[in-house]
Formats: sequence, structure tokens, C-alpha cells
Amino acid sequence: MTGQTTTHALDPITVEVIGAALSSIVEETGEALVRASYSTNIKERRDCSTALFDRHGQTLCQAEHIPIHLGSFLDFIPMLLKDHNPEDMRPGDVFVGNDAYRGGGTHLPDIVLAEPIFVEGELVAWTVNLAHHSDFVDRAHAHIYQEGLRIPPIRLYKAGELQKDVQELILLNCQVPRERLSDLRAQMAANRVGVMRFQELCARHGVDTVLASGEALLDYAERKMRAGIAALPDGSWRFEDVFDNLDFDEPIPFAVTVTVAGDEMTLDFEAPEQIRAPINMTRTALLATTYYIVKSVIDPTVLPNAGLARPLNVKAPEGSILNCKHPAAVNGRVQTCQRVADLILGALAQAVPERVSACTNSACSVAVFSGTRQSGPDAGTYWVYLETIGGGGGARPTADGLDGIHVHATNTSNLPVEALEGEYPLILERYELVDGSAGVGKHRGGMGLRRVYRATEDCMVHVDVSRNKSRSWGLQGGGEGGHGSYVTSPDCAPFERGYGTLRAGEWLEVITPGGGGYGTPEECSQAPLAAE
Amino acid sequence: MMDGTQGFGSKTTWRVGVDSGGTFTDVCMFDEASGEIAVWKVSSTPDDPSRGIAQGVEEGMKERAGGSESDPAAAIAYLGHGTTVATNALITHRGAKVGLLTTDGFRDLLEIGRQKRPDLYDLFAEKPKTLVPRELRFELPERMLRTGEVSVPLDEEAVRKAARAMKAAGVEAVAICFLYAFVNPAHEKIAKAIVEDEMPGVFLCASHEIAPEFREFERLSTATVNAYLGPIMHRYISRLTPRLEELGLPIAPHLTQSNGGVVRFEVAAETPVRAVLSGPSTGVVAAQAIGTRGGFDDIITFDMGGTSSDVALMAGGETTQTNESIVHGYPIKAPMLDIHTVGAGGGSIATIDSGGLLKVGPESAGADPGPVCYGRGATEPTVTDANIVLQVLNPVEILDGRMKVHRDLALEAIGKMAEKLGMETMDVAQGIISVVTANMAKAIRVISVQRGHDPRNYALMAFGGAGPLHAVRLAQELGMTTVVIPRNPGILCAMGLLLTDLRADFSTTKLVALDAGNLDVIAEAMSKVEDEAAGWFASEAIPADKQMTTRRVDMRYDGQNYELSIPLPDGPVTAETLVALEKGFTEAHERMYGFAVPEERILCVTFRAEAMGLVKKAELPERPLGDADASGAVIGSREVWYPETGAFTETTLYARDRLAPGNVFQGPAIVEQMDTTTLIPPGVTARVDTIDNLILELSA
Repeated sequence: MTGQTTTHALDPITVEVIGAALSSIVEETGEALVRASYSTNIKERRDCSTALFDRHGQTLCQAEHIPIHLGSFLDFIPMLLKDHNPEDMRPGDVFVGNDAYRGGGTHLPDIVLAEPIFVEGELVAWTVNLAHHSDFVDRAHAHIYQEGLRIPPIRLYKAGELQKDVQELILLNCQVPRERLSDLRAQMAANRVGVMRFQELCARHGVDTVLASGEALLDYAERKMRAGIAALPDGSWRFEDVFDNLDFDEPIPFAVTVTVAGDEMTLDFEAPEQIRAPINMTRTALLATTYYIVKSVIDPTVLPNAGLARPLNVKAPEGSILNCKHPAAVNGRVQTCQRVADLILGALAQAVPERVSACTNSACSVAVFSGTRQSGPDAGTYWVYLETIGGGGGARPTADGLDGIHVHATNTSNLPVEALEGEYPLILERYELVDGSAGVGKHRGGMGLRRVYRATEDCMVHVDVSRNKSRSWGLQGGGEGGHGSYVTSPDCAPFERGYGTLRAGEWLEVITPGGGGYGTPEECSQAPLAAE
Repeated sequence: MMDGTQGFGSKTTWRVGVDSGGTFTDVCMFDEASGEIAVWKVSSTPDDPSRGIAQGVEEGMKERAGGSESDPAAAIAYLGHGTTVATNALITHRGAKVGLLTTDGFRDLLEIGRQKRPDLYDLFAEKPKTLVPRELRFELPERMLRTGEVSVPLDEEAVRKAARAMKAAGVEAVAICFLYAFVNPAHEKIAKAIVEDEMPGVFLCASHEIAPEFREFERLSTATVNAYLGPIMHRYISRLTPRLEELGLPIAPHLTQSNGGVVRFEVAAETPVRAVLSGPSTGVVAAQAIGTRGGFDDIITFDMGGTSSDVALMAGGETTQTNESIVHGYPIKAPMLDIHTVGAGGGSIATIDSGGLLKVGPESAGADPGPVCYGRGATEPTVTDANIVLQVLNPVEILDGRMKVHRDLALEAIGKMAEKLGMETMDVAQGIISVVTANMAKAIRVISVQRGHDPRNYALMAFGGAGPLHAVRLAQELGMTTVVIPRNPGILCAMGLLLTDLRADFSTTKLVALDAGNLDVIAEAMSKVEDEAAGWFASEAIPADKQMTTRRVDMRYDGQNYELSIPLPDGPVTAETLVALEKGFTEAHERMYGFAVPEERILCVTFRAEAMGLVKKAELPERPLGDADASGAVIGSREVWYPETGAFTETTLYARDRLAPGNVFQGPAIVEQMDTTTLIPPGVTARVDTIDNLILELSA
């Protein structure tokens, strides 16, 4: 705990073996979380992430699941260490938290469980995982107090003993408590694997070697990142786009100026003041998004640890939509994150057009269904089903964009029809690529998706689509992608800004945007397949 | 039929394993009567691999097993066969033209998959190629509900129309996958019958037959891959069967599956998706048997052939099995060994890329035209050519003198490359070896380092025609200090066929709560798969005392979606059995996840029977350790170029079949044998153990 630098000599093979072992530990903890969980959002859609941190809260390794989850990971341990003295921590302590302003979170449904790892009586590292609990639905979003229960980093377990009062308080504030309890247990299971495996690793190599390798891996990620940035031309490039969704009528302007000087990069964002809508991004959400996309362009093989952030300087006006402060609402921040990632692509396209794609569908289309079960053994209980739907990828300089995939800050799976219909009173009628949704070009953009749901029982619905007014841009003469939109059955009462009700038998169709094209259609050797 | 006498009164005592690879076809013969093991090797015939196989069996039996002129295969009691036909077709996307029938609204599911992008960060990553083009994916009005109840009846006329359209388009195989077919297969069965009627003889695969399990995309993918490979495997087997019959083969031949077990040809022809790892799986089985016999319980297997290398990890004597895996980009639900493949082999072609860097593979020269040194017109140098130039391989003739090679041609090809790179020819030849070694090291990292195993704690067991040639270089790259070369490395996969039991896995999905009230349903589901296993035992004519069945139930808490597989105690299914299952599940859950919830309902999901037919296996003959002096095995010397010396260096040549247990010798040395060549560079010590393994010790 003295923080002294180790003089242990490390050979590169040892560092590589330990780095890979850390990565295999976070993958294994992620699998335990998925396999033990109950909610469809985790067990099938894998909307969760796992990570290991050093004792200071720097990411040693993150499982490659959902980039935006890195946001919650960035500040959770540092925030926790502000409130709790490490001297008082014991093996078996487990901390829970989700708050955007007191717990490093990016929105309230992402609940983090963190457990300190002790070796020979000393706190040496942390195992941390995050699960998106699909709860806190059917709410207003003028400010964070409307969005769900705020939990600062507090103990859920004390030296292995469940703090029942804390758990009861959390569960009482959740709409589907049985699922929450089961998923919290799965998160406990994941941390247990993390603690065990990390201790085994220390037993095998010695704790000093493991920790020194951790440091070496951070430096290694930094070196690779710097080398990648240095390979870009020096200069400054500005790019603007707008953000639109169903929450408001006038598209919101965003801009970024990316400056490369030697082996460092500065990203300077311009954005209006935070608003009374759920699209605000905390600073950690902005950092997570920026780290993700810069790494993707610079060098996708850089290890996903804290070292990669060192050469990056991210600025955004405090209190703006892209760097909001208390008490801004943040629930729908992922839509904004997607636009920010494409904004950075647009700026870098001016520097290295051969290294970037055209604009992706730039959205994370969401449909949330909830209601009270009217039949079956669980009649009378409340149910919540959240799903996010992919769209088109941006066309690449060498290839078409990918069809029907999740882009940028998210990468959740779909829910198999055969799982969905068993869990919820919904029937999935169609799931297909949308003809005509891709931007034309020498290489066309990726196609968006269409999903058609029919309700078999009455339920509440919230649809969140983006690019409903604007379109995803092409590059080098490529065309724009199609809009995001939704349609309901003709007999259905009209939805208000994406909110509404489906009665049994009524249907909802969600259409997600396509990606932008790359190069002019005239350069295309074959007839454009996806021309609108 | 398995192990008695058969045929025209003659004694059938030979058990034969045949491994058909991209470059060579290996035959391994074991005489049950004498315990003698004999091997034979011929060039593969990729345009029609059955020719090479028949030739190998015929020549092998005549030359080494006293087979008669007219019916050389008449003395064979068992013939097992592994093939890379299925996996090669999948890798090179040279499968059949497939049509797909699916539920209305879901024709794009094959492309969408689970909607995740292929790589989280790489903007340039591609999805695997979709095996059925959009215009050959037909949506049919039909819909089942999750209960199995019909919501929309199947439009039979639409099936007929689709079948006609597929026929007109020249479709060779049809996959059928409807939602909930694993609950109620009625629509798939009707559609299958109509397609059979409209397209007689077409290869058909319905999802409920090949993977009757929940999750539509993975089931669809498995059915599609099966259809994609079906005609390829059919063609292959229908050519091979008569050729073997012509040789007088008195028994039904068997084919290896991805799980390392074997099944009859007829079964294999219908389920090619279960044979995507047919070739490499037997090598792993053989390595396991040889490794544990030799005292090596922790090994990494390295099987390098002409076109690719397969690696697998065995810890504590156990190989790793899986029931679902992504193979060459495609999700496949089938039991298989955990094997990783990389496109690096002796035939891998060396090129200079647009950035001016030396690249090796994954393109391969294959058997025809083969490397430049074969003198069959190839001009691009391969890994084998580099070894010929370095004189690591015999620069005059290989395969025990049965094939002449042309070092001058190889030297010229690599010389041209050296000129372009502005380097010395020998440095480029060694550079080709270094690059291919790095590629193979990457594959080993995937199965070891990436799963938290330090390769330095494992021995490298090298086999395949090219494995022993590259093993020490690979071990050096990974910091490994022990290399094991089995007695017959070039034919180890063929030998594995003589060391494996007959095996088939049966399963059925039935969601039922683990509750005494459901005892009948549970017992019925279990007896369904046991009946299938019994039918299989009968069809394989396995005597009762050679039958072994392991029963398991995959279970989870109601609400979870992933099961834990719990062994079922032997004997009839009773209330006590259920108690044992509950105990087994609770303990396993506690062990895996650190908690169990007594008040939660436990569901049984999949009932499994793993049926094994125990066969007499080839025995590895053991000899006592003798004198350390290996000079009796020396057959000459050759100048070989080493990076350690930077020059051609005098190297002692040993004949593998003259080496005896206890012999010890130092590198630089080369051990030659019919099926492979082992390189022992300067500084490495070699010794021979009691089962004739060559153990190479490297300094750490």
C-alpha cells in the first residue's frame, strides 16, 4: 500500500502472459454474470461489462463488451475512495452504486458492484462489474430525480455479510424486484470468480509481479496509442453535425475540433447548455465514447486499459449537454454518445479519409415495453422488457457498411424470438433488413433494421429513435442513410413523442437508420443495391 | 461384425485408420493378432480424395499387411477415417448452392445473426460470408407459438412454389428452419416432404433434426452449414464407398466426428456439420493417449500439415469439449473438441505484400501443383521450398526416396524473392520459416495464454507431416522447453482412429420442472434418448459388454437461460434419482457461481446420452531403456543452414527406425523417417523414451 514503484525486472513474455490472463479473468467473470443472471437484458442481450482495477482505481483490463460501460468504470473506484477509507475495508466487502454524480455512473439502470481483492491481507486490486438492470421505466426525464433510485457507492455486503436493509431499500424502489435480486446475485457470482482468479494469478506469479505487469500494461497501451497518434499528420480539423430525436422538435447542433500535435490529441467539443431531457452526457460518458472511437481509428489492438487515455485531452463546456452537471437527466445518453462518436469520425475523415468509415446509423434505437401480466402463473406482476436495435454501419473506403449491427458505444445482442415470446406477452412478426435504407456510393452504407412487435396483452411502450429528421452523412461523395422511425397499427391510439400504449392485438414497427455511403455511386462497378 | 471373423473364411485381424489431409493421405494399420503397427503414406488427390484413400489402403495393405492382390482389404476388421473435406469446403466457401426455407418475416436472420458487430473496435472488420444469398432465402407463411400450437398454418402451395424456384435456380441443398421447430416440428416435416417431392434427391436438412434446441439463429446456422456441406460430403462418401468395396472391404467403414468419436458413413453423410473437425480431432485423441502413456499430462498439440496447423490444449490428461462453438465464423451446435486452426502449413505460399513485407500463407500450394521443388510448374516459393533450400529437408528426395525434389528450382524462386527484398537468399529462406513460426505461435497463444495457461508449463507434442520440422523453432518462440515427437508423427491422426472408441451423442430438449410430480415426463425424456442410443448400439453391432452410456441432464434455475450439465446416476429414473439431480445441480451452482437458492424452481432442459462402443485399441509397444549411444542410428550427414551459425553446418543424420529407447544425442541433428523429418538445431538435446517418443530438451 506504500505505492512505491517496483524494481522487479519483468521480461516481455511474463507481461504478455499476465496481460492475457487478466483479459481471460474479465472474460470469465463476464460469462459467469451472463450465465447466472435472470433478466433477458443480461442473460441473452449481454448488456453488462466486467473489469479489473488496480488499487488506485485505474482500469487494468475491461472485458470487451459495451464501450459506454467504461464510463461508469472510469470514476467508480475513485468516487468510492472519497467516501470510504481503504483501511476499513475487509475481504468480502461489496460496494454497490449507480449514481451519475456521486458514483461515476452514466445512467441509473447501470448498477455497479465492486469488490476489493485481498492478497496476504493487503488490498491489491478490485473486481468490478456493471449490469444494465432494465428497470426504472415509465418515468419523466426533466432531471435525474425522476429517473430512478440514486445509489452512491455504499456497502451491500460487509465482510461477506449481506446488508439486508440496504438491499431492501434498493428492491423497494425497483419495478421488477425479483429480477433485480437475481441479477444482483449474478453480479455477486461474477465478482466471486474475479476475486478467486486474481488471487490464483498472484499465487502463481507473485503479487508484485502481477501488479508490476499491470503497470507495464498501462504503459504499453500508452506507448501504442502515442505511436498511433504520431503517425497522423499534425493539424486541426473541425466537424459539425446535429442531434435529433423524438424528445424535441429543433435539432441540436454539436461540433468538435480535433487537434493532433505530435503524439497527443486534443478533442474540443462545442455543445449547447444541458436540457430538461434524458440526452445529457456525464463527463465519464463523453470520455468513454471518445476513448472508444479514437482507439478504433488509431489502433484497434491497443489494450482497453487506462493507459490509452493518457495522450488524449478531452474538453467540453461544463454544464453543456456533452458534459452535464447535477441534476441533469441522463437516461437516454447512449443516443447522444453515438452522435459524438460519428462527430469525431467526421473530423478525422479530413485528416485520414482512408482510415475511417462514413457516418454509421449514429443511433441506438430503443424500444421499452412494460405492463402488468394478465395471465399465467405470474399474473398481476409487473414486467419490463427493454431492447436496443442495431442499424447500418458506415461504408468503408474498401467495403460496404455492415448491415443490421450495433455501432460505437453499444454492442448488445438481440433477444432470440424464441426467448422473447416465452418471457413477455409479445409476438415478433418481422425482423429484417430495410431495403433502401443504406446510403448509396461506390461502397454503400449498411442497411437498417425493421422489427415488428404485436402485443398479446395491453402494455406501455416507449420508442427512442434518432436520425428521425437528419440523415447519416456519406464521405467522398457517398449518399446519406435512411431515417429512423416507427409506425403503429392503424387502430392504435397515436403515440406522443414515442410514448404510448399498445392494446392486445395491436402492433408496433420500429425502423432503424442506415449508414452513409463512401465514394460516388458512379464509381460503383455494379448496380447500387440499396438505392432509395 | 465388429471384432469377429468375417468374409470368406479368412481371418480379419487388421484395424485400419485413414486420415485424408489436404496434401497427404496417411494409412495406419494395426494387426490385432500380432500387435504390429504399420504405416503408409500417399499423395492426396484433392479433385477426388477417394482415389488417394483407396490407393493408400490398397498399397498399404499389399505392402505392409500381406493383403492379397485381388482383395487387399479383405483382412480388415475395422476401418476408421478422418477427413478435412467438410472443413475445407467451409473455409474456402466452396460448399453447395443452398436454398433456405424459413418463417415469414425472418429471411434476413441468417445475415443479422445476434446483431453484434464482428469486432468491437475494428471499423474494417467483416462479418463471415452469408452462406445463402438473399434471393435463395424463401419466406413461407407459417407460424408456431412457443407452446407448439399452430398460429398460422403452413402454406403448402408456397412451399411447392419455392421448391420449384430453387430447382430452377440450380439449388443443390435445402435448409429448413422455422421458429419453434424444436417444440413442434410438424411444419418442417411437411415442408421437407414437399421439397423431397419437388426436388427428388436434393440434400435436405431440417433444423429440428440437426439441432433440436432453443435459440433460432444458432439452430438456423447449424442447419444451413449442414446443408452447405451435405452434397460435398455425400459426393465424397458415394465415391469412396464403392472404391473400398472394390478392394474387398468386408465391413462398413466409419468416419470421425468433431468430438473425436466415430460413426458409420451413412450417419456421417447426413450430418456433415458434426464433422467439421473430423480431421484434427483424432490427432488430439492420439496425442492424449500417447501423452498420458509417456507421462506428459499437460501438453499442447501441434499438428502441422501441408495447408494448415491445428492446435489444442490438454491439461491434466483431459481434452476440452464443447457443445456449441463458432467454427470459421459460423455458430455450430454440435459436440466437438476445442481445436484452433491456422492457415499455416508446409505448402503455405510466401509472398511480398504491397507494403514490402514478407507474408506467408494462408494460401497454400496444396498437393497439386505443390511446392516449387516438386517440379510441377509452381513458381511461388512455399515453406517446404525454404526447408529444401536450407537443406533441413533432404534436398534430393523425400518420402523414403519415393519422391524426387528439385532444390535448384526452389533456390531460384527464393533467390528471385531475395533480389526484390534486397536480401541474401539464405536469410530470406530462414525468414520464411520465422514468419510462419510467428503465425503458429499466435494460434497457440489463443488456446493457452488467452485462456490463462502459460505455455511454458506445457510440453509441445508435434505431429503431422511438417510438425516435427518446425516444433523446436515454435517452442523457442513460446519459451517452451520440452518437445515430444511421437514414433509416427506423420500419421498420428490416422493412428488416433485406432485409439478412439465409437461414439455418438444423443439429446432431446424438454422443459420440465425438477419435481416428483414430473417423474414420468423426466423418465420418458431420458428413455427417449436412451432408446436412440440403444438403436445406435444395435446398428453398430456393439456387444452388450462393450456398451457404455453416460447420461446427463442440463439444468438451470427457472429464469436463467444457461444450463449446468449434471450427471444422472445409473439405473431406472426414480424419486431418488430426482433428489440426486437436485443435489448435483445445487452443488454445481454453488461451485460455479458461489450461491444456490433453495426456494427457486429448477428446470430440466436437455436430456443427453453419450453412447460409447468400446473397441479394442492399438497398443503402444513398450521397450526397455538401453544404451545412450545413438551412433547405430547414424545414416550419414548433411550440410544444413542454421541462423545460429549463419552458415551451412555439418549435421548428423539419424534414421528414426534405428533409434532405440535410451539413446541420447545432441543437435545439430536431423532425424529422418518415411512420414516426417525432425529438426534438432544446435544446442538441443534429444533422447528416446520407452514408447519410442523422441523427447527434445531446449535450454530455457
